[in-house]
Amino acid sequence: MAARGHVQDPNDRRLRPIYDYLDNGNNKMAIQQADKLLKKHKDLHCAKVLKAIGLQRTGKQDEAFSLAQEVATLEPTDDNSLQALTILYREMHRPELVTKLYEAAVKKVPLSEEYHSHLFMAYARVGEYKKMQQAGMALYKTVPKNPYYFWSVMSLVMQAISAQDEKLAQTMFLPLAERMVEKMVKEEKIEAEAEVQLYFMILERLGKYVEALDMVRGPLGEKLTSELQSRENKCMMMYQRLQLWPECNALSYKLLLKNPDEWQFYLSYFDSLFHLMDKSWSPPNEEEHCVEGPVHTTVAEAVKFVVDRMEEEDKKDSRPLRGPYMACLELIHRLRQRGCPDEEELGDPLELMLQFFGKFGDKPCCITDLKIYLHLLPPEQHTQFENRLGELVPLGEVGEDGFGFPGDTKALQRHLCVCQLSRVLGLQHTLDTEGKLCLITELKAHYHYGLQFGKSCLKTELQFSDTYCLMVAHVYIDLWTETGDENMLWQCLGVLEEGLSYSPSNAQFKLLLLLLFCRLGAFQPVVDLYSSLDAKHVQHDTIGYLLTRYAGSLGQFAAASQSYNFSLRFFHSNQKDTSEYIIQAYKYGAFEKIPEFIAFRTRLNQSLHFAQVRTERMLLDLYTEADITSSLEESVKAMGLCPEEDDIPWDNMRDNRDLTVLFSWDPKDRELTEEHRRLSLEEESVWLKVRSLTLRLLASLALLGHAPSKRNSDKTNENGVSAKSSTLQTLLSQLDLTLQTAAQITEKQTQYPFLGPPSSRLASALSSGSCHCQASALQLSLTLQELETTGLGKMSDVDFCTTGLQPSVHLQKQQDWGGECKGDVLEMKDSRLMTQPSLLETLVFFVETVCVVLWVASYSASVLRPLKSSLQKKKKKKTKDSSTPVVLSGFQEWTGSLQGIVTQALDHVKGQEASLTALKLAALTLGVGHAQTQECGFTRAAMDKVQTSYLGSLQELGDLLRKRADSLKSLKF
Amino acid sequence: MTTLRAFTCDDLFKFNNIQAFLNFLSQYGIPFYLQYLAHWPEYFIVAEAPGGELMGYIMGKAEGSVAREEWHGHVTALSVAPEFRRLGLAAKLMEMLEEISERKGGFFVDLFVRVSNQVAVNMYKQLGYSVYRTVIEYYSASNGEPDEDAYDMRKALSRDTERKSIIPIPHPVRPEDIE
Repeated sequence: MAARGHVQDPNDRRLRPIYDYLDNGNNKMAIQQADKLLKKHKDLHCAKVLKAIGLQRTGKQDEAFSLAQEVATLEPTDDNSLQALTILYREMHRPELVTKLYEAAVKKVPLSEEYHSHLFMAYARVGEYKKMQQAGMALYKTVPKNPYYFWSVMSLVMQAISAQDEKLAQTMFLPLAERMVEKMVKEEKIEAEAEVQLYFMILERLGKYVEALDMVRGPLGEKLTSELQSRENKCMMMYQRLQLWPECNALSYKLLLKNPDEWQFYLSYFDSLFHLMDKSWSPPNEEEHCVEGPVHTTVAEAVKFVVDRMEEEDKKDSRPLRGPYMACLELIHRLRQRGCPDEEELGDPLELMLQFFGKFGDKPCCITDLKIYLHLLPPEQHTQFENRLGELVPLGEVGEDGFGFPGDTKALQRHLCVCQLSRVLGLQHTLDTEGKLCLITELKAHYHYGLQFGKSCLKTELQFSDTYCLMVAHVYIDLWTETGDENMLWQCLGVLEEGLSYSPSNAQFKLLLLLLFCRLGAFQPVVDLYSSLDAKHVQHDTIGYLLTRYAGSLGQFAAASQSYNFSLRFFHSNQKDTSEYIIQAYKYGAFEKIPEFIAFRTRLNQSLHFAQVRTERMLLDLYTEADITSSLEESVKAMGLCPEEDDIPWDNMRDNRDLTVLFSWDPKDRELTEEHRRLSLEEESVWLKVRSLTLRLLASLALLGHAPSKRNSDKTNENGVSAKSSTLQTLLSQLDLTLQTAAQITEKQTQYPFLGPPSSRLASALSSGSCHCQASALQLSLTLQELETTGLGKMSDVDFCTTGLQPSVHLQKQQDWGGECKGDVLEMKDSRLMTQPSLLETLVFFVETVCVVLWVASYSASVLRPLKSSLQKKKKKKTKDSSTPVVLSGFQEWTGSLQGIVTQALDHVKGQEASLTALKLAALTLGVGHAQTQECGFTRAAMDKVQTSYLGSLQELGDLLRKRADSLKSLKF
Repeated sequence: MTTLRAFTCDDLFKFNNIQAFLNFLSQYGIPFYLQYLAHWPEYFIVAEAPGGELMGYIMGKAEGSVAREEWHGHVTALSVAPEFRRLGLAAKLMEMLEEISERKGGFFVDLFVRVSNQVAVNMYKQLGYSVYRTVIEYYSASNGEPDEDAYDMRKALSRDTERKSIIPIPHPVRPEDIE
């Protein structure tokens, strides 16, 4: 807690020990000390608040809250109480209460700058823009300091940004903000750069670009000094908005002369040039072209400009810049797009690229640069280009193995770049199997040879030749996907594991291993790989999907739970973090950052991945715990789940996944496209919808169980019950609709690039029958619910039996479907190791479905139990009709069949486990030709990891099934 | 060939190629980045390649007392993705930070670097920085590695005409003794 200033105050002295206890985390002592103090000084309000903080921190929220309110209603004005209450409310996540506190304080002490400013910040924390505007003004009237005035102006801008109605923003909030600033300008009261920035922001949002431009060029613009080229950048932006192409062109030209490496200005230079040409603009005679200076209006001028820049670089003794050479290729590209014949004046793209390679081929980014312009080469030139590049790579004499190697890291980088280019040009892909295997041998040889250059590298540094290793892996993956030969995959894993042993920090190795293990259904090694990536904050959103897509689906429930937590922890801290810095941005006058921070927070809150992990985490908890450690109802309540509430922003979902995080040098036609991205998002969203509806259906099932019994129901209760069943009904029909959409999506059978996004679980969920089985089980609970209200006695027994048995028929089908995939999850055939990860995924779906069906069964039992007991009473009274109604025998038949199905499944799992354990991988001879023992060792290690992981999955699945089987017993009457 | 521009929050989503491969730099949490964006946005610059990849970034601040001639620019983080190394980008970004500090009237620019990070120390020396003092156990232990000392390196700006700010302090100091 903040250090107290006024030490003289006796109250401060008295409170000091409590502060200290709280600071040291000794909450109990803090509470005791506060109690002691309160006995003597009843009116020492702050002591009460400090006690409340202690209570809050020891989990006694309710007590803490009422104690705090005791003080709050007194409307305290002492600094200690106010600050302590602020801290308490923040910890309670009730920032809105802080506003009430300072509203009262400001009323009582209207001249306090401090309280006014606290009030403003309290509003800022909860985003009350209108009140901020007023508070800022009140503050300025109390203490006429410029920042306060501009806080108020900024709050108007925020009202404009957040207004639903754009018209309101444009006709009311922004013009008002503009007038407020203009007033200060007229009175010559503008002081700070931040104020000018804000003025610019307002004019820009109003579309008053001319005014904005005048302002920036005028005396106010002179205040824009912090950011480099701030005025130039703003002018450029306005020229572009206003389509002032002459100015845009002249300014770009000027800036490029100063810094010929600034890529954005080449783009604006070319853009403006062609606009001017299209308009046949010609400079006015005898005067300056425009305020920014000379304007280029012909291709000839542009060509000369670019050629001059290149020549200047050529003349330089120091390191040449890439900009001018890239600009040359960019200009050719643009001329060609326009069908302009003048490109020849710049030279042949092939020669220019060779020249570029000659200058920059030893830089790792050479490939990234050239990749952009490879389309300038006609396909028939590709091989020639590769050969010519090869001539520029100094390699040593060819040895026994037929390869020559680079003598230093620069030569190595050049050779590597040629390999990368050859892949990007598709030349590797056209090789046949044998060709690819030869390529692998060559790349491996280069990889191993290159390791010598990195002998002194630290553990945290990458090896110079790492990229060879990654390329080997890519070629193996090509072979695997083309031929289906799993040996290729095992060797790929081996080579990556080897790579990681030499270069333990290489994130690309880890990412690719992670991807491959996931595709193989082996989740265990993935957890370690991911944590060794040391992903931080936003990365849990951008790359977390690699992990969480597979977490739940492979039966490693404990690891899955851990993975979801990684991500959730980050998302939950986001809200708190951002509001703190929004406030700081006001304090420091970083006005342009305020909307940015808010957009950032929103982007994270609306993240697809956030919604996914949130939903999956709760489903996972239910599957693994509900009705085992606590009842379904208790679990649902503990999660705060409300079936009526849908907290997923379906219409504004943000796909923050970084789908190109894995390096790829695939040719353009194999790369990830925008269409892939769209389809992947669509698929993931529908799958999320299925999952979130399932979750809400389970919540509403849990609450059905809580329905008051029919006999003593009064009107309100009846309403309550029917409301619950109508929620169930609504959700079921939504699920039904969603499953129809899902079926349409899976029909498309979209295939993504291997290194792109993984497919969602949607297709296998549908084909396994799991979705429909769960839906029909939940349908049964609705039927029962309805029957209960109409009277169980009156029900058509036949109806019940058909509906009741349906889920188990489905479940049986699902199991049979699983059985159709013959064989084991891991098998050895003709000294080849084969996997069937789909078996695991199907099994997980089966287990999830068993959970759902059992919860429905448990609900059914709770409905039928009263009937059974009333029957027994009747029997005692020896009434005539004492035969068991069909509904009860139907139920018993059903649970009996469920028991059978679960037992059978358990046997199946046991069988899989047994054959997996019996599998001796050591007996496997890894193919001839790969006899290098070290390499084999890495491949074996990878195989072992997969085997162990499968076993772990089977064990966890078996355990859960056994627990579920136990709960089934309790359902018998 | 680079586009140099102000760092924005959205860049955090494109951070993977810089961040995931960084190991020598401690990684920061969101609050840390937001704090710098809120307080010293002009000191937070990102370099972008023509294909849109993030090449690197620099993050800094201005601090210290003007009266004591300690007002200066500080380099908090400088990082270039492995793919874009050896292009002089780090030097360019440092130059920009120095320019901003010049405009703010700073006396010098300083930075901390692990004494073991010889590559970085040499690079900074080439850029005109010299070791001002050693800070004992400035980097706290992680991953089983022991605590490590830092060099506090400085470069005088034009305001410090006599270059007083960079006269080395012979005795090492403790982290709690630095401003």
